[in-house]
Amino acid sequence: MSDVTYYDVPVLKAPVWKWFIPAYFVAGGIAGASSTLGAAARDLPGLRRRCRRLSLVALSVGTAALIADLGRPSRFANMLRVFRPTSPMSMGSWLLAAYGPAAGAAAVLPDKIADPAGIVAGIAGLPLTGYTGVLTAATAVPAWQEAGRSLPVLFTASGIAGAASLLALGDHNDQEAAVLRRFGIAGKVGELAASAALEREVGAVPAVARPYKEGRSALLWRLAHGCTTISLLLSLPRKRARRREQAGALAGIAGSFLVKVAVMEAGKASADDPRATFHLQRARNSDSLDNR
Amino acid sequence: MTAVHNNCLCGSNARNERVRTAQTQRKVGFFTDTTVCIGCKACEVACKQWNQLPDDGLLFSGMSYDNTVHLGASTWRHVAFVERPMVENTKFSWLLMSDVCKHCRTAACLDACPTGSIIRTEFDTVFVQPDICNGCGYCVSACPFGVIDRREDDGRAWKCTLCYDRLDAGMTPACAKACPTESIQFGDIDELRARAADRVRELHQAGVTDAYLYGDSREAQPGTDGLNAFFLLLDRPEVYNLPPHPVAPRKTIARSWRSMAAASVALAVTAVVSVLGRK
Repeated sequence: MSDVTYYDVPVLKAPVWKWFIPAYFVAGGIAGASSTLGAAARDLPGLRRRCRRLSLVALSVGTAALIADLGRPSRFANMLRVFRPTSPMSMGSWLLAAYGPAAGAAAVLPDKIADPAGIVAGIAGLPLTGYTGVLTAATAVPAWQEAGRSLPVLFTASGIAGAASLLALGDHNDQEAAVLRRFGIAGKVGELAASAALEREVGAVPAVARPYKEGRSALLWRLAHGCTTISLLLSLPRKRARRREQAGALAGIAGSFLVKVAVMEAGKASADDPRATFHLQRARNSDSLDNR
Repeated sequence: MTAVHNNCLCGSNARNERVRTAQTQRKVGFFTDTTVCIGCKACEVACKQWNQLPDDGLLFSGMSYDNTVHLGASTWRHVAFVERPMVENTKFSWLLMSDVCKHCRTAACLDACPTGSIIRTEFDTVFVQPDICNGCGYCVSACPFGVIDRREDDGRAWKCTLCYDRLDAGMTPACAKACPTESIQFGDIDELRARAADRVRELHQAGVTDAYLYGDSREAQPGTDGLNAFFLLLDRPEVYNLPPHPVAPRKTIARSWRSMAAASVALAVTAVVSVLGRK
């Protein structure tokens, strides 16, 4: 493969997003997964209430982070000027607009309104947990674009792991703890499996896979998996132990957060590397250099 | 060359220009013929001046005569200076190219824009409405050419407007107007395509067999459905820092939505099973 570039100048513009956006990815995922669990936990009032509260807190933090990252925060409402199916960000804005009031009502209003609102939030929470994976994949950034199948799964799993871990920090009865344990294990296993799938998906072109293998982004990527693995191991025993549960929860939160930060950093590194774009597009079209 | 073509050299002939633009009000674009670019950067200057773009700082890049480096929020024309190894008697040969927003027929920035700030104009060009843009930055990551960028002090995304204001007044875009060699040709897109094909034929006959068109049609670049600002190049696109086969994200995104739908179902099942399966 030819290695020609124009003075190594990046062909793409690196994502301009600051840390607010990975923070939103994390918070949005936690809100969505927590709402879904809350809607499922119909006969566990304590857990249901905590799920709904966590959703509202995560939603508020996430929305604040989203607005803070805008170049013109005062124009946030312009997000609802158009309905544009080609833009996952537009779809996400409308999703948030539907989810937000429902999640808010479920958390603070009396049961008569909160219960149906909780169901709505639980359903809207499903795509909210993973659409950010679609948003990331729908770019020109090779390390994201090439992970188009695995990213939505990874982000959903990370949301589940994050929500389960955050909820597990609080006090729960044995039944609730058993639910959180299972939910968390599914999320963490999903996160590790989707990460492996992502590495396979981007692995065809070495220059595209590089940010997941070398440099700062790779370090964060491995650190995330280390935290998630530790959390998974700590949550395996059925026997309850408060300290172990909390340690596992903290590791789970770290893993679910870091995996999204790592993906963001990988995207920046990928956009900065013109070879990632060139090699990918040449490989995709499997053309010789004569065939321009 | 036709009479219409020659008008580009008569700077004061506004009447002909108006007539020409009136005929071509629908779909306009640029054909940038890199074989006649002399690297004078008049296009860069004219663009900066007409559009009143902020300066990029006085940077010495060390990259040949290119101190502009790349297109950006405040740089809407950029002349690339490629030094290639060459035959006897010369140390290198020049490849010069004035780069610009491609005004893609399937525009990734427009597809990505959640506010509707980015629109397709009546001239078939792609325009960012500065009074709408809220600086979300999504278009920046979406553009497969690295053209559009967010201006840090201003917070909004900016790129070439193809001189929308000048088009409205029946004028030629500033860069094309300033180009002294007709390397930058402005006009009706179909006419430009025909002219470009002629030019390639002419070059091939003259022995310049490397000449080819980049992005001139849907067939040539299915990922963008063709560019309204296309180029005649003499080497691989990478040499000029152009992506060889750019693809608008909308072309591949269905798989991600399907994947998200599957993950959503899995989340719902996981939640229900977790609750029901407890002891």
